[in-house]
Amino acid sequence: MTVTRTLRLTAATLALAVGTSAFAADKHPVTGETLAEEQHFTYRLLDQFPTLDPQLNEETAGFHVIRDLFEGLMSQDADGNLIPGVATGFEASNENKTYTFTLRDTAKWSNGDPVTAHDFVYAWQRAVNPETASPYGWYLELTEMVNAKEILAGEKDPSELGVRAVDDLTLEVNLNIPLPYFPAMTTYATLFPAHQATIEAHGADWTKPENMVSNGAFVLTDLVLNEFHTREKNPMYWDADNVIMEKVTGLVINDANQALTRYKAGELDHLEPLPAGQFPALQEELPAEATSVPRLCSYYYAFNHRDDAEPWLSDVRVRTALSYAIDRDVIVSQVLKGGQWPAYNLAHLKTNGFAMPDIPYSTISQSERDAKAKELWDAAVADGVVPEEGLEIDLIYNTSESHKAIATVISQMWRQKLGVQTNLSNFEWKTYLEIRRDGQFDVARSAWCADYNEASSFLDLMTTPHGSNDGKFSNETVDALMRESKTSDDPNAQYTQVEKVLYEEMAVAPIYHYANTFLLNEEIKGWPYNNAENNWYSKNFYRVVLDD
Amino acid sequence: MLSFIIRRLFIAIPTILILIVFSFCLMYAAPGGPFTTERNVPPEILANLEAKYGLDQPFFVQIWRYVVGIVTQFDFGPSFIYTDQTVNDIIAQGFPVTLTYGFWSFVVAVIVGVSLGAMAAVYHNSWLDYLAVGISVGAQVLPNFVMAPILVLIFTLWLGWLPGGGWQGGQWQYVLMPVIALSTSFMASIARIMRASMLEVLGEPFIRTARAKGLPMRRVILGHAMMPSLLPVISYLGPAFVGMITGSVVIDLYFSTGGIGQFFVNSALNRDYPVIMGITILTGALTVLFNLVVDILYAWIDPQIRYR
Repeated sequence: MTVTRTLRLTAATLALAVGTSAFAADKHPVTGETLAEEQHFTYRLLDQFPTLDPQLNEETAGFHVIRDLFEGLMSQDADGNLIPGVATGFEASNENKTYTFTLRDTAKWSNGDPVTAHDFVYAWQRAVNPETASPYGWYLELTEMVNAKEILAGEKDPSELGVRAVDDLTLEVNLNIPLPYFPAMTTYATLFPAHQATIEAHGADWTKPENMVSNGAFVLTDLVLNEFHTREKNPMYWDADNVIMEKVTGLVINDANQALTRYKAGELDHLEPLPAGQFPALQEELPAEATSVPRLCSYYYAFNHRDDAEPWLSDVRVRTALSYAIDRDVIVSQVLKGGQWPAYNLAHLKTNGFAMPDIPYSTISQSERDAKAKELWDAAVADGVVPEEGLEIDLIYNTSESHKAIATVISQMWRQKLGVQTNLSNFEWKTYLEIRRDGQFDVARSAWCADYNEASSFLDLMTTPHGSNDGKFSNETVDALMRESKTSDDPNAQYTQVEKVLYEEMAVAPIYHYANTFLLNEEIKGWPYNNAENNWYSKNFYRVVLDD
Repeated sequence: MLSFIIRRLFIAIPTILILIVFSFCLMYAAPGGPFTTERNVPPEILANLEAKYGLDQPFFVQIWRYVVGIVTQFDFGPSFIYTDQTVNDIIAQGFPVTLTYGFWSFVVAVIVGVSLGAMAAVYHNSWLDYLAVGISVGAQVLPNFVMAPILVLIFTLWLGWLPGGGWQGGQWQYVLMPVIALSTSFMASIARIMRASMLEVLGEPFIRTARAKGLPMRRVILGHAMMPSLLPVISYLGPAFVGMITGSVVIDLYFSTGGIGQFFVNSALNRDYPVIMGITILTGALTVLFNLVVDILYAWIDPQIRYR
């Protein structure tokens, strides 16, 4: 260790002695920081990503890699704003139902082929082709692309999808309805281009390092399942001159504490998430490295709104009392301790362009909420909705230490404040999903993460037809408002109203808005702390030499 | 002897077939499926997925196709979760890793365990005995999920001698800690069994005879007492060896080795049916094989069994 450091120091001294011109090349062109000789970034993956096929991917871990290997029409900057990717720009016409993208003529695949509009057409048709059977094919339904739904259902041919290459550098997309955020949706993997010749030559093996042809800033050079993968700078990338990072390594480390030890031993530059509850201690120990940033997910307890559910669940006073009695500050600051926000509404407070609605119970104190809860509860008891001898609630959650801690704390709050007896049951993940889907619960732990940085990605969940509305909440006003919001110039008006209805009906009990806690080596610069979707692109990273 | 081996191999085939059918049924009985996710996939997409993997077929058709695929083409099917991989890919990648650290753990456990146990028995009730018993009890109560983080803490964080995980094709620096973590508890069990059986053998009349003939202690131990003392150890080693080479999820989890153990557990949690089946069959076949090896070894060591 010391030997290497000494050698490195000697090398630096030598470089200085040789002349300043050689040294100047090692400065960051914009910030002037001294760049490290080895531009290598190593991060931890919690689990092995299932696939690197952009059209098949449905996971965040895979998306982090795919975003480096491939580039879509549009991309994101450090603040999450839309910037040109393969496309230099786009034009909307036909009342926002047609988008025409112009592609840059310098974009190339890693084998030197030009990236053309046909590559996007091929990829998108592939994503909806029933033979591909992409679990994320519904993303194209979400974009409202013409015929996407019919093709997925096997009713139309993939060639009938609402996208066409006008010429090599012009791509025209037709949508069923005006969708102002369609260009933003092209930053997701499903809509990345694909290299037809490679896929046809290798079949499912095309994503193996030796076969893959990609168009992003990096190429895949090594992959061993459950161990590691590496990606290295792609010299064919159109903007390769501005990419400083040479190599990125992802290590799969399941155990959070083991990962933390290895971070401290210098084997990792980035570690996320941190072991539960350790953020405050790490912030004290490594203040320049421990960070908490918003993550676009909301944690809530779903009430069972089915007709055959317990009758007291259909009484809004009971649901409201249960929600009011939850002291969210205790959960956030005593249990989770990772910079999360107490939640009184569904959509994450950091969602782009989302005006936080005015939810009355979010501004009063917990003792006032408790008093109100007791009042509502007593009224429900007086009306015979809740039996006088008390209530037993079945609360289900999937097996996890933090879900258990939250459920235990909440059940104590309900017992002390409302005299409710809570039966906690936990299940292994897939079993849990099935039980929740079948409605075998009174209250179910739930969480929802946005697919894209827009409030509808949260609020659509509470509409009647939504596939993951496991509490089966159904409200005509909410459905109508969400339909209306799709074509609205300022959908915030509808969103605010929807949140208001959700509050009045207490459709769910929101608990907290997520934060991501992580450790980042101080030598790594360019991290997009303000990108609320946590979409990081390694091409923006660089490693510096810190002045001691 | 040959007919004995052939007969045993013949029994192995129906054993594995029963294993396949039984695991297949159990797997289907588990709630949820490979495509059950937080986000309910729309029915048309679920239908496409099920059609792609043949899950839309009746149960008997599925199991028949599966068995036929294995028997005729040695094809264990694609992974439902790692869509870029087949089960054969996964086993081909993970099994050599597990085999490597399992084999070395076995070698270490046997050599250290047998020596420790024998030493304790020979120097019965001396400080050497107490030391050996102390070590084996200590190793026994330290399960590998405690050992693994401690090892990484010491050798990676404090001393900086070894990498904290990974495999890198099986370079020794990466193999060392998994082997230590996996072998300790096996080593402790072997030492205890060896000590007890050696003590028993040392009290036998034929040892007294050997001593009475004036043979040096070394020859009495190695020439006469060792072989019979090993019998109970060997019956333990068969299943222990299979246990070691078919993977330890703890080792894979803590050291990110990419071994088969983690795939096995993950496949069950993910309901990745073909991977569950593939690894179950592999484990089953190895268990049958090594039980046979143990029986043959037994016959070789113990003439009473051979001539029976």
